Formats: sequence, C-alpha cells, structure tokens
Amino acid sequence: MITIGIDMGIENVKAVVLKDGKVVGMALVASGGAERSQSAEQAWQEALKQAKLTQSDVDKVVSTGQWRWDAGFADEDVAETVAEAKAAHWLFPQARSVIDIGADKARAIKFDADGKIIQFYRNQKCSLGFGLLIESMARTLGMTIEEISHPGTGKQNGISLNDRCGPFAELDAVLLLHDNVPRESIAQALSEAIATRLNSLVNEMGLDKEVAVIGGVAQNAAVVNALSKLMGVKFLIPEQPQFAGALGAALIAAS
Amino acid sequence: MTQEYWRWPESRWTASDVDCKKANTITAGVDVGAVSTQAVVMCDDKLFSYANMRTGPDSAGSARRALEWALEGTGLKAGDIKASVGTGYGRKNVPGAQQAVNEIACHVLGAQFMFGPSVKTVIDMGGQESRVISCNEWGRIFEFMVNDKCATGMGRSIETMANLLQVPITEMGDMSLKVEKEPEPVSTSCYALANSQALGRFRAGIALNEIIAGYLFAVAHRLCTLAGRMKKENDVAFTGGLAKNIGVTKRLERELGVTALHSDYDPQLAGAIGAALFARKLVEKPLLQTAGAR
Repeated sequence: MITIGIDMGIENVKAVVLKDGKVVGMALVASGGAERSQSAEQAWQEALKQAKLTQSDVDKVVSTGQWRWDAGFADEDVAETVAEAKAAHWLFPQARSVIDIGADKARAIKFDADGKIIQFYRNQKCSLGFGLLIESMARTLGMTIEEISHPGTGKQNGISLNDRCGPFAELDAVLLLHDNVPRESIAQALSEAIATRLNSLVNEMGLDKEVAVIGGVAQNAAVVNALSKLMGVKFLIPEQPQFAGALGAALIAAS
Repeated sequence: MTQEYWRWPESRWTASDVDCKKANTITAGVDVGAVSTQAVVMCDDKLFSYANMRTGPDSAGSARRALEWALEGTGLKAGDIKASVGTGYGRKNVPGAQQAVNEIACHVLGAQFMFGPSVKTVIDMGGQESRVISCNEWGRIFEFMVNDKCATGMGRSIETMANLLQVPITEMGDMSLKVEKEPEPVSTSCYALANSQALGRFRAGIALNEIIAGYLFAVAHRLCTLAGRMKKENDVAFTGGLAKNIGVTKRLERELGVTALHSDYDPQLAGAIGAALFARKLVEKPLLQTAGAR
C-alpha cells in the first residue's frame, strides 16, 4: 500500500511517501505564500519522484498542518495533534508523549501505550513565535540558523531575555547587542528563553519519561539541550523531525 | 537559496554638485539603529555623501562599515572629518565620534534640514521604535512620545511578514493600496498577534493585498494613536525606514487628516543628518563664542 502525507505548515510544506510501512520519499518546499497550493503540488511530486513512483500508484493522500485545507488533492485531512501523536508512537514505540516545536506554535501531547491521545496543551496566544522568532533573531544577530542553533558554552554573562513574549525578547536582544554583549551569548540566552517558555507549557502535564521532540525547531540543538536540562529528561528525536507531521498523516492514510 | 523577501535594498550616494575640497568643515553623523545604520558626510551645510545598510551584530563594526562605505570613492578619508557624532541604539559605540546624542534631538535637527524649518511634528517610524516629536521652527523640542513597550518592533515585523507572505518588502506598500475598501486592521497592540491574525486571514483565503492593507493599517493606526495624544500641527515630517512604505504613510496621512511635508532626501537619513549637524556645532561653537564676545 502506498500513501502520502502532506504537512502544510506556515513556513514549509512537507511531503512523505510511505510504502508498506517504509518511508520511500520525502520533500520539503517553502510554503509559497499565496501560491501554497502549488507548493503542495510540488512537494508531493518531488517526494513521488524520489520514491520512483507515479501519481497513479498512490492509494491515499492525507493532509495535516495549519493550512491543510489548501492541499486540494488530498483525500482527507487530519488535525496536527492526531498526526503528530501517530508519528511519535510509530517512530518511538516506547514514547508516551511528544513535544512539537514549529514556526509559530508549539504543542505537547500525551498518549498511552496504544498511541491514543490522553491530553494535549498548546501555547497561549500571547507566546507565539518559536521558529519565526529564531529566524528573526538570526537576522538581527547576523548569524545563520546553523550558528544560532549551535549549543553554547553555557556562559551567558549573566544575561537573559524575556521568556514570555517574542517581541520583548527581541527588544532585550537589541539593547544587549548595542551594549556590546557578544552575539553568541545573546543566542544562548534566546535558546534558554524559548526553552523556559516551552517548559512552562509542559510542566503541568508531568512529562517525565520517554518524551519525543519533533518539528523544525527540534533540529535546533541549543533549544533542545536547554529544554532537556530544564525538564531533566533525555529526548527522543527523529533524524528529520520536521517531517514528523507529514509522516503521521501518511501513517493515518495507511491505517 | 530561496528568495529573501525581507531584504530591503542597501544604498549609497554622493552629491554631484558639492566640492568637498572647498569645504571648510567636513563632519559626519552615524545613526546606528536596531535594524539599519546610516552614515552621512556633510560639507559645511550640504549633504555630501551617505550610506544606508543593515545593522550587523556589533554596533561599532556597523558604524565603521557604514562610514567607510559613505566615504568610498569620494576622495575623502576618515582623517578629513573634523568631527563626528553618533546617535541611535548604538550611539555610544561609534568609533571616533566626539559625542553621542540621543535620537530625539537628532531627528528634529535632521528633519528640519531635510523638510525645511517649518516642521512642527516629526513622526519617526523605525524598525524597533517609533516616536512622535513636537518642536518649533528653531528646533526646540516641546514634547515627545515613544511607543509603549508592547508595541515594540513594528518595523522589523514587516520583514517577517514579507517572508511569510512571500512578497518583496519594497512592494508591500503599493500592493496594500490596491484595495477597494479598507479592511479591518489586525491587532494594533502587538506584532506577534498581528502576524498571527494576518496569517489567519491568509488561511481564510483573503486576497494578499487586503491582508497587507489590514497589516499596514494596524501599523499606521498605532502611530496615529501615539500622535493623537499631542497637539495637532499641519507641518508634519515622516522619517525612518517605514516612511518609505507608501502603504503606511498614506494611511497615516488619512487618519491624521494631514498632508505630510515632502523632501527629496531619503527619510531614513534624518537621524544621521541630525548627528552630522550636531558635529558641525561642535566644531563651529568656539568660533561662534568668539564672535559673540566681540
């Protein structure tokens, strides 16, 4: 059976091709602004090409993500929470919860041994911006995403950024920058501020064992390390965490 | 490499009609902002050259690079500059500057140079902060308002919006004016909420120009509430990077019920020109004092 999952995020469209329980193709395309349905088209064509398959081979397409209704060719759509829990459970059968850190939203989902969702939390409206904030700060600090994601030495020179509000954190960063604080320290403080915010999202759920982390920001070692330290948990992170949502959708299509 | 929609053009310029060799006093002003840095070189009371670029990770380096670029190809060297003044967030880090002057004072001086002495209100719309300043024709400042902390980073957030909507930042203003009816603004208090609401409209399939219109309307409305707390005068000058966004300026004019003054200078230069004029005062002050003593 061949199925496709499409994750229509606000920054990127991700597609995963699943053949008999194996991932055979993956593609990531920038979300394309107003042309995002074309981006979706492009993403699944590219993923199919990688899998050396054609459109007619596909049994079912399921979309997910904030803009999941824009993938017109999908047979069904599924909420992000469901897709993510599915993917986390499939990737790490021992996992009992998953934290997704995306461009502007984050959520934490707790599920049982069968992958059934027990509880989930989303970030509050007033704490938007995770990946987007990191990108904007990278522009301000003149660093690449790779540089800003590099876990620091832990030396912060006693500085911290606002951990509740993205705009305030940026203002703090600008003031520190012009006070000649090294940008590496500010980048480290940013990662810790984001980790603090995420920690406050999950700490009342009591996630204490086998936590998977997915989403684009899961590739950011600085944020992940800081969060791991705060929570006192070692995370399970897939090789390509940004594709987890699409993978979940493909798995749901297959079931 | 995907296209960088947020990137605005950096620029430099040299006056063709000013002979720097005949100048008595050559001064420089450097405005190191949160997002952009401008350096200007003035020959006596004339603008000679300028450079406008993105602020880098260290303010001293940004100031140095901007000044070097402004001097490039002009035949002038850093040593020819008699005095220089720094302003903006990084004003204390401008290498070689005799003094750091706050942005409010520099913007008034700069705006009166660029728009003429009739300027009574300066609305500076920057990347991180916005300010409304009221002054008289002699440059005396009566009062000023700076945005609330909650309205920080409005200029900068347009860069993020440009990336998300995949519209080049320089085209947003024109696009936003192509609407039949002005849409409701998005959040006028917080850019994170404004971005999220704009994306929500995007999701709902609303046309791109209407989304941008609602976004820029929110930016303009916020500036308007800031200006609304002050005495309304007709001689208004818009300065700062957002003053180049016609979608913001047109809406601001409409809401304030004024027509802003026109200037041939780049509105982003106001702070740096003001700083250079301050530098000139530093050089010529001893002369003036002697003249006064006679």
